[in-house]
Amino acid sequence: MSVNEKFSAIRKGLLEFLLLQIIAAEKVYVADILKQLSATEFATQEGTLYPLLSKMRREGLLDYEWKESEAGPPRKYYELTAKGREQLRETLEYWNKINGTVKNLGQK
Amino acid sequence: MNKVITINLGGNAYQLEEGGYDALRAYLETAAARLQGNPDRDEIVSDIERAIAEKFRALLASHKTVVVTKEVAAVLAEMGPIEADSGEAADSGASSASGHGAAGEERAAWRGGTPRRLYRIHEGAMIAGVCNGIAAYVNVDPTLVRLAFVILTMLWGTGLLVYLVMAFVVPEARSPEEKAAASGNPSTAQEFIRRAKEGYYEAMKGFPDRNARREWKRRFKQDIRANADQWRHNWHCYWAEHAPFHPGMGFALPLLSLLHGAAKVLWICALISLLATGAVFGLALSANVPVWVAALLLFIAYGILACPLKVARRACYRDLGRPRWAWSFVFLLDAVVWLAVVAALLWLAVHYFPELREAVRSIPSLAHQAADDSRAWWKGK
Repeated sequence: MSVNEKFSAIRKGLLEFLLLQIIAAEKVYVADILKQLSATEFATQEGTLYPLLSKMRREGLLDYEWKESEAGPPRKYYELTAKGREQLRETLEYWNKINGTVKNLGQK
Repeated sequence: MNKVITINLGGNAYQLEEGGYDALRAYLETAAARLQGNPDRDEIVSDIERAIAEKFRALLASHKTVVVTKEVAAVLAEMGPIEADSGEAADSGASSASGHGAAGEERAAWRGGTPRRLYRIHEGAMIAGVCNGIAAYVNVDPTLVRLAFVILTMLWGTGLLVYLVMAFVVPEARSPEEKAAASGNPSTAQEFIRRAKEGYYEAMKGFPDRNARREWKRRFKQDIRANADQWRHNWHCYWAEHAPFHPGMGFALPLLSLLHGAAKVLWICALISLLATGAVFGLALSANVPVWVAALLLFIAYGILACPLKVARRACYRDLGRPRWAWSFVFLLDAVVWLAVVAALLWLAVHYFPELREAVRSIPSLAHQAADDSRAWWKGK
């Protein structure tokens, strides 16, 4: 496994966490999410995002509402549920802890 | 010049070049296949359709009404391949976890709401609640189902027969959960109706273009067919899960095969004797019943006889479980028993029914005659 492949596994695992963070900030629809991610190393495509979002909704982390768009079909705007917020908080905490561990381990 | 195909995405009509249409269809079919087993499959696919629709819209302008093949390919590349999330792998784990109660509920949650089951529903029933249950299952008016049964009954009494069998075989919805499951949550039937309501097909109906209308009809039929398949699948799964068989019943397989084989041989013998002599095992037909009706009735009778056997066999296959060698052993035994039964029954039939012997003897000459007839017909043409 090349280094790049290893990174892609890490990115994949973190994507759900990032989605929680993006959706926590404001109600967004998929194109917004893609735009926010596109500038980062987490750039994704709809083909990955829709199944993941639907899985998260099934787990009760987020919900959506329909909004008409001036052009084209109606859009789904996603928002976090209480459970989603709780999970985001826990994940952030855990992330900080891991970060600390990564920095401190091996340092004399 | 390229052929243009009109399609409906998320309730709006778009015109694509034929190559683009093929690419889009292939993409959506792959998406649906990859999401097989995902409880939200239909929803994700319609999300994706909507996203594609939005991208198409951005490409079009007043002087440009057709999305060309290259653009479709670009849009699909932008969408990226559909990735089924790895969480789905846990599904098989959840369903192999034995026991009811918590595990059952978890499984229900996995499939997204209560899985729809066929039950008889007593509330508002006319007789045993069969029609009511079917109506709830496929989400149509019970009166329509009743009407269908009445019409089927007028056609050689099939409806009555099916009704009686179902009244026996289909369980009654007693607990609230069962009642909820009877009318069910999302399923393809519900999804289909929801789409229809959303005007998914309405847009198509208004098209003056004959090709578009034909395409609409094709989609409609495809959906109906998929619905029927789903129904059949649910029915089999339900029976395989709930049939009263114990683990280790794998060794009942040869017995079941024996019965199944006997039923099959019986039906073939009956058919042969019907065609050869116009009577089924000495039971003469009344003159006003055409032979093909009798053959159809025979086939239905065989279907009814064989269905529970098939289902029971399926349940056995499920129960066989892990060890591979046991499988091959049982299959071997199964095949041997089956062949023996067929051979024995054929031998008996040929020996004890002189008309059958005659029929078998006349097969070569019949074949010759048929060949001659068809040759003559061909020459005449």
